[in-house]
Parts: sequence; structure tokens; C-alpha cells
Amino acid sequence: MFDLLPHLLNGLVLGLLLALIALGFMLIVGLMEQINLAPGSLFALGAYLALALTGPKPPLPADLAALWLRVPIGWRYGIALIVAPCLAGIVGIAVEFCMRRTYGKDPLYGLLLTFGVALVLEEILRLTWGTRDHVLPIPQSMSGGFIFADLIWSTYRFYAAGMAAIAIGLVWLLIEKTPYGAMIKAGAHDSEMVRALGVNLSKLRLGVFVLGTMLAAFAGIVVAPIWGIRPHMGVDAVVPAFLIIVLGGIGSFWGAVIASLLVGLAVGVSGAYASEWSLLSMYLLLVAVISFRARGLFGKKSVLEV
Amino acid sequence: MTGTSSDARLITPTMLGTWLVLATVPFWISAVGLYPYIGVEIVIWSIYALAFNLLLGTSGLPSFGHGAFFGVGAYAFGLTQFNIAANIWVSLAGALLAGAFAGLLVGLFIAHRRGIYFALMTIAFGQIFWTISVKWHSVTGGEDGLLNIARLPVNLGVVSFDITDNDALYYFVLAVFAVVVVLLWRLVNSPYGRILSAIRQSEVRTAHLGYNVWLYKLSVIVLSAAFSGFAGGLFAMAQRSAFPDVMNLAQSGLIVMMTLVGGGLVSFWGPVIGVIVFLIARDVIGAATNAWMLYFGTMFVLLVLFRPEGIAGAAKLIAERWRNRSATPAVLSSETRSG
Repeated sequence: MFDLLPHLLNGLVLGLLLALIALGFMLIVGLMEQINLAPGSLFALGAYLALALTGPKPPLPADLAALWLRVPIGWRYGIALIVAPCLAGIVGIAVEFCMRRTYGKDPLYGLLLTFGVALVLEEILRLTWGTRDHVLPIPQSMSGGFIFADLIWSTYRFYAAGMAAIAIGLVWLLIEKTPYGAMIKAGAHDSEMVRALGVNLSKLRLGVFVLGTMLAAFAGIVVAPIWGIRPHMGVDAVVPAFLIIVLGGIGSFWGAVIASLLVGLAVGVSGAYASEWSLLSMYLLLVAVISFRARGLFGKKSVLEV
Repeated sequence: MTGTSSDARLITPTMLGTWLVLATVPFWISAVGLYPYIGVEIVIWSIYALAFNLLLGTSGLPSFGHGAFFGVGAYAFGLTQFNIAANIWVSLAGALLAGAFAGLLVGLFIAHRRGIYFALMTIAFGQIFWTISVKWHSVTGGEDGLLNIARLPVNLGVVSFDITDNDALYYFVLAVFAVVVVLLWRLVNSPYGRILSAIRQSEVRTAHLGYNVWLYKLSVIVLSAAFSGFAGGLFAMAQRSAFPDVMNLAQSGLIVMMTLVGGGLVSFWGPVIGVIVFLIARDVIGAATNAWMLYFGTMFVLLVLFRPEGIAGAAKLIAERWRNRSATPAVLSSETRSG
């Protein structure tokens, strides 16, 4: 059992990171009533923007750039962690305006539209930053490793898991403890009724979409030092995120969080026995669960099923 | 789908025209600045897109993991050739059967689903097949791919053709394409095809009329997967190798894109138009810039926003307006919608 401990811990950390990625999607899919791939691209965009802000060549005039580079890396990283998601949120506003034409239509159109948007954004990332992998610089105090129980652990993974846990907690507070959360949940359940009660649904949708993209971009920055930054990272994140939403049940907060932890543990533990095949375990988990529980672990009947 | 007299025919004027035009391609393709191999690609991908549209356009089942079947067929072609018999018919049958078997396996899990859940489950299964193809080194060759697949001679009993040359290969795949088009056209316009269309319009109503919707959906998934696998086999032969990348999510999305751009939702020929536009655009824009996906993706986004019926849909609309202008402009005939 003790041999499994590092794999369990790694799985738990992975699960928290996946939950962070999936939450933005969960909010958007629940309220928009359509599947949306755009957060994947904004996940990647967030990481690249953070790279631009913290990297050796910030996109600023020479004097300002020199001044900016004198700011300690810890501060630059912290600022990037806030500014980059805001910039990605602005792109999210533009995407949401495009998407308005597809509301109320077959959910397939939303999926296709955002597939196109994802292709375009990925190509823009490739044109701007090239196809090679980049490394996001992180403060000295967060990098490196430590020894515990005769094993070397990466420090940053635990910081990342901590940041993920805080973000998940904040989203939980927003959804469960504020009137906005009540509107979001009600909107996901029955948008017509919410509109009839006098809520400006299009504003609510815009707000949730921007919040979702900002969460996705934040997740991108947090994950970037572990997975690396490459144009394809958006697609790499989209698939597990959707899998988790379906596994947990569309529109369920705890469903998404628990599904993430399950997937993380499945990948982590299967990595102990067959590391080559560990990615397969999450798909098999999904197929197994969905065969018995058609709406996922905590799913309720949703508009997407029609 | 169009509800005209040509539905009942075995071979329609459109088919004949398409075959004749395609048959002349090797004579002028080099003159317009393209290369002969793109013709082979267009024909093979057209078979794939038509097979895919059996699900999306005819039955309304959005599959986002169809590359899996195409890839399974490609590997099966190579593996049959290496391990069973180096005969083109046996290998192609291997590709077809492997595709059908993969389709059956997936279909058993997803045939009772629809809409977005169907799409998501196909993504998951597509990823499963893709992961296997990347990781199962001893069989598929992993990322390196399955190499040295031969273009086997076409053995017709009496005579045998060599198709190692691109032009000869082109005429072979074109002949196969002609047969597949006839088969699919009959299928779509048969009573079976009508019930698939009914399922697209309303699954509940079709079930209430007494049809076993699950069985129809399962069977069409198997058929579509079989033809996709067959196309994959041809593709492996054409490029003399099989790689995992045709199975990944982006490639599976591209076949959806091609089918929709052409207008697969409203026309039998839509997928073929889409493949032609897509592959030629890839080569022409790709030669002019190094970011062809930027332009094609933007075009696709605009298309989904403003003309989701695709090129064939837009053409139909224009033809309809033209006809109405000469006749009674105010009345829109019901044909616009039935198409």
C-alpha cells in the first residue's frame, strides 16, 4: 500500500488540476445549454499571455520592458496570474458575441462554431509564438523539489494543487452562497423561467461565459509549468474536461469535482501498474460509469438530451 | 432526400456527370498547378465523408470520433496484407470488416444515445482507439506508424493491373468510388434510408410508429463505420503506410467540417463538395501562406454562423430564388424545405 502513496498523491494533485480546468467548462455548458470548446483555446491563450508577461521579452516598448523586467519574478508571476485571465476574458466577450446567433438552435452548432474558433485561435498562437514548447518561468521559491519518505516531490505541484483548491472554493462560494449563483443554477435548469422572473438572461450568459473563460485561462497558467506550453495544449485540456463534466453529470458542481478526483486517481494509480496506458483509464472509467448511469454520477435531466 | 424521380434510379445523371468530370482529372490536374496525388486523396476522402454523412446527414447522429473507424481500416489493411494474404481484395475486405467490427463495438455502447451525449461518447471512443493505436507498438508501430504497405496489384481473375503509378491508382479508387456511391445512394433512398431520416427528424415519433430505433441506429453506425474503414484501407494503400494521427480528435473534427462546409445536411453530394473544397483550399492556401487553418477556420466559423447548410445549401437557395424570380416571386415552394 505504501508503494502506492506517491501515485495516489500525484493522482489527487492531478484531480485538483483537472477540476480547476473542468469548472470553467461546467459553468458554461450548464448555462449555455450547448457544448463549447472555446474555453480550451482560452486555457492555452491564458498560458501564452502569462508567458508574454513573465518571459524575457515582454511585448512592451523597450524602456518599459526594461523597467518591467526589474520587477522581481515573484511579483511578475503574481501579476500575470491576475492580468492574463482578464485579457483572456476580453477575448471571451468577443467569442460570446459570435456565439449568440447559435443560442436556441441545435446544440451541435455551438460545438461546431467553437471548434472553428478553437482552430483559428490555435493557429494564431502558433503564428505568434511558434510551434515549439515553452516553459513558463516561476518564482524560485515555488520551483525545485523536496524529499519526503525517501522520494523526491516537485514543490510546484503542491502549490498548483493549493491554487486549484482555492479557486474551486471560490467558485463554490459564488455558486452556493450568492444570489448570482442561484441565478446561474436556475438558468441552467430552466432558462425561460429565469427570464420570465426578470433576470437579464443575455447579460447573465455573458457574465458566466467570461467567468468561465477567465477560470480556464487561470487554469492554463497554473498548469503550464507542469504540462509545458504548446499550441496544442488547449485540445489536450478540452477532452479530459468534457469527460469529467459528462462523468460527473452536466450542471453539477460536486459531480465535476468528484469526477475530477476520480479521474486523477484512476490515471495516477493505473500509472503505477501500466504507465503507458494510464491515459486510457479515464476513457474506460467514463464508458463504465455511463453504461450504468446514463446521466453521470450526479446528473439531472438536462436540455441537452433532447 | 430530394424527393424527385431520380431517387428511384440506380444511376442518376448527377452521378454520371460527376464520374465523367472526375475521370478527366489526370489530364488537366498538372496543368492547373496541382499534383496528381491530390485526386487520389479527394476520391478516398469523399468515400470517407459520404460514409460519415450516413450518420450526420441522413440519421442526424453527430459523430466526433469517426477517425477511429478510418484509422482502424487503415491498420487492418496493412495487417491483413502482412499476416493473412497479400491480395488487394482480401486486404480491402479486412479493412471493411475491421471498420464494421469497431463500429459494432462502439455502437453497442452509444446506439441508445442522441444529440450532444452521442457526440461526447463518440469523442471518448475515438480517443480510446487513438490511444491504443499510439501505444500498442508491437501491432501498430506506435507513433512511427505501420510502414511498407504495398499498393497491391488489382487482380480481376483474368487480368491483373498494376496500381503503383498514381494515375493508375486514381482510376482504381475512382472505380471503387463509383460503386460506393451507387450503394450509398440506394441505401439512402431505400425504405431503410427513409426510416433513418425519420429518426433524424424525431426519434420518439419513429419509435411510436413501431420501429426499433435502437436497431436502426446500431446498424447505421456499423454500416458507416464499415465504409469509413474501407476508405481508411484505400488511404493506407495510397500513402503506403498507416499513422495514428488520422484518429485524433482534430482529424475527426475535420471530417465533420468538410461534410458541413459542403452541405452534407441538405444534399447527398454535399460531403464530396466539401472534401474537394477543403483539400484544394489546403493546398492552395497552404502554398500561399503558412497559416492556412487561420483562413479556413475563419471561413468555417462564418459559415456556421450565417450559412449552416453549407455550399450545397447556398446553391439550392440561389437556384430556388432564380426559379422563383422567373415564376411567381412571392411564393416559396415547399421544395426548399424538403431538400
